[in-house]
Amino acid sequence: MNIQLYNITKRFGDVTANDGISLDIRAGEVVALLGENGAGKSTLMKMLFGLYPPDGGAILINDRETTIESPQKAMSLGIGMVFQQFNLVPALSVLDNLLLAYPKSPFWTFRRLFRTSPRKAVLTYLQELAPGLAPDTLVRDLSVGQRQLLELVKVLNLDAKVLILDEPTSVLPPQEAERLWGLIRKLAEAGRSVVLITHKMQDVMACAHRVVVMRAGRMVQTLDRKQCTESSLVSLMMGDSNQRSAIEVTPREAFANRPPRISIRDLHARHGAQSVENIRLDIAPGEILGVAGVSGNGQHLLADALVGLTPLARGEVIIDGYLLQSASRPPSTSGRVSYIPEQPAVNAVAADLSLTTNVALSHFRHLSFFPAWAPEEQLTRNIIQRYQVRPDNPALAAGQLSGGNLQKLVVGRELEGDKDLIVAAYPTMGLDAGAAHDIYQALFAKANEGAAVLWISEDLDDLMSYAHRIAVLQGGRISGIFDPRECDRLDIGRAMTGEHQPARTQRPPEQKPADPRVRAAS
Amino acid sequence: MTNATQLPVKLGLRLLRGPAGAVLGMATIFVVATLAFFAINGREAVSLFQEMVMGAFGDSYSFSETLVKTAPILLTALAVALPARLGLISVGGEGQLYLGALFGTGAVLAAVDQPGWILMPLMLAGAMAGGALWGVIPGLLKTRLGVNETISTLLLNYVGILLVSFVVHGPWKNPNSLGWPATIEFPAGAILPQFFDTRVHMGLVFGIVAAIILHILVTRSRWGLGLQVSRSNPRVGATAGISYERNVLIVMAVGGLLAGLAGIAEASVIQNRLQDGLASGYGMTGFLVAWLAGQHFLRIIPLSVLMGGLLASADSLQLYAQLPKASADILQALLFIIVLAVASLWGRRRDI
Repeated sequence: MNIQLYNITKRFGDVTANDGISLDIRAGEVVALLGENGAGKSTLMKMLFGLYPPDGGAILINDRETTIESPQKAMSLGIGMVFQQFNLVPALSVLDNLLLAYPKSPFWTFRRLFRTSPRKAVLTYLQELAPGLAPDTLVRDLSVGQRQLLELVKVLNLDAKVLILDEPTSVLPPQEAERLWGLIRKLAEAGRSVVLITHKMQDVMACAHRVVVMRAGRMVQTLDRKQCTESSLVSLMMGDSNQRSAIEVTPREAFANRPPRISIRDLHARHGAQSVENIRLDIAPGEILGVAGVSGNGQHLLADALVGLTPLARGEVIIDGYLLQSASRPPSTSGRVSYIPEQPAVNAVAADLSLTTNVALSHFRHLSFFPAWAPEEQLTRNIIQRYQVRPDNPALAAGQLSGGNLQKLVVGRELEGDKDLIVAAYPTMGLDAGAAHDIYQALFAKANEGAAVLWISEDLDDLMSYAHRIAVLQGGRISGIFDPRECDRLDIGRAMTGEHQPARTQRPPEQKPADPRVRAAS
Repeated sequence: MTNATQLPVKLGLRLLRGPAGAVLGMATIFVVATLAFFAINGREAVSLFQEMVMGAFGDSYSFSETLVKTAPILLTALAVALPARLGLISVGGEGQLYLGALFGTGAVLAAVDQPGWILMPLMLAGAMAGGALWGVIPGLLKTRLGVNETISTLLLNYVGILLVSFVVHGPWKNPNSLGWPATIEFPAGAILPQFFDTRVHMGLVFGIVAAIILHILVTRSRWGLGLQVSRSNPRVGATAGISYERNVLIVMAVGGLLAGLAGIAEASVIQNRLQDGLASGYGMTGFLVAWLAGQHFLRIIPLSVLMGGLLASADSLQLYAQLPKASADILQALLFIIVLAVASLWGRRRDI
């Protein structure tokens, strides 16, 4: 099946997300759609998958112009998409999840009567791609990589000839990403087309045949992967006009001998099925401590416990010699501690209240009993201007802003004023590179002023470029602390999946014990 | 067509799409539904409707009786609206009203020989304490044990009503009442002040003053901001240092306190004693009014008057049309359903 996108244009209000983009997708080929966040890659593919109608241009499938008005239509044409957000039911088994997504599943679920046909059909690809994965396993017990595989199998079960993968490696530890690259190559060899939406060079270099570079809604260039180098791609992706000032991070030596600003001593906390155990960390004033790990390994709980939203089961947190949190008293938040939580729309703002109100929340304790709103509004305007929050109306309800703009507002609010500790969870998630750069600059400037920064991220590249140390959370425990100058991605990757031995000996990456799943896939 | 003739039409249409149109729509549908209800019962619909309006607002006596019914509706509506500002659905106005009457009466009975300047404050303090207690209990159940406040307030209503029934049948029963289950008559010092030679009493003033104060506190103060934030996102509130738990207790206590005042006013002014069947459903009517007003404290005032009028006119319905007293309940329910349905329809239209 050949797909041609011809002169596709898409606008959202005043923003042109896609400006006259033409693209061929051929059978048996892996096309990498490369660009920064906000370049318009996902938008383009969502139009191919029938989620948005294009404002201009045409989609040709096997040389016939086709209107794809819904994902159902896209799937009936053999186009499938795997999103960044998984769409699985954790409480059901692998088999049930596959049956649920399979259109030919019978209405009744008397397994014994209908055992043969759909069960066999939905499990074919699973057994081919992951022979070791038992169909009765509950999805909640699967690793992120296995869940993603399951999403892929769901799409393959729909007989998809064209697979669109949206940032598939962003949630994977490095070795799982390698396995996925192998799988993508294999799918292409079997005659399918794969469109890989990504902003990572490794993805492109590992498995793409052709690279389409997008920037600010336009297609910059199409290249054969063999013709291009990583650095040429980076400059194409960023553009020349987008030269940004370097982000200043104080060298670690500057504060190596200072006493810690924050001491986390033997911290244990538990919430539902999640727990963190035995966390011991010291962060010096000015230090940026990165926390890596596959999401769901206790990052959220650790952050909540530090800022005082969850009681500690054991241990204590000390700031400058004062007790901030302790297991022996109820948790309490402090104006000296900033928190940039993940998903700010859910965790950091009151969605139906104005931006001004939401900004004022950071110093709620210091408002007078009948608050004066003029200074709060001015402060909000300053934040809006500095971080380019759009739309720039402080009276708007927070829920009317997009996720990225809310993220900028929350970061701006939390970095306002004097802070001892800043806990930032995925502060740049969903932002384009320019905005992410601004946020890093502001965050690390706070560190330079003497705040201790605990920075939770999934982006190993960013962590390795800016963090002074990287602690890895795995299963609620710290499975390793690394100096980014003396380790490589695979060291951290092993700690993320729990293969890391605490008393590690440095060994070159190619000698690592081969993961059987990697072999099966490549 | 010229622009000059089109403009008023356009303006009119825009008004109709807004809140004014919604209110007009509600009023129209309610009048039509009421007329239909009368017609179905085989009465002269239009004249009966006129009779009803006159019975509520027609002369100074009917209007004073309307205001007498307004006071407890207003106070119990506030007792529902304040917790609702924190996202709590309390239906406990009735029980809180009874507990206010119970504790207030207790204070009166304990200090029955004291002069009015001691007795009156004691009575009011007792009433407020009793109502607040019946608010704090569901509040504590909610914050400590996670018990749904709607269920607990609903059930505590029965407990409150039956507690009053118990004391008036038993320990507090007036020995000279010839078996009638009621306490002794309140002494003159325990009768709340009344106005203009009618039964309109202090309770109405309490309600109006409370509505205004609550409106200012909730919309302008830091505490009110805390309520808004906690309702919208308790987690964000906690991060900012706003205690959801403490606010739950405060709004439930203050709400209960107001309903308690309604209870003692009924006992003191209307009945002159504590007896069974004290409130005749004011708590539930207050709940309806609070929701009709969208939990807006100032809007509760006129709506309470309207609802008071509806209840007062029920008497005239009985008198002139021999319709059962339950007709007022039916009309109340009609009004409630119409307002909710029209409000959501209008809201949906504006979203499109």
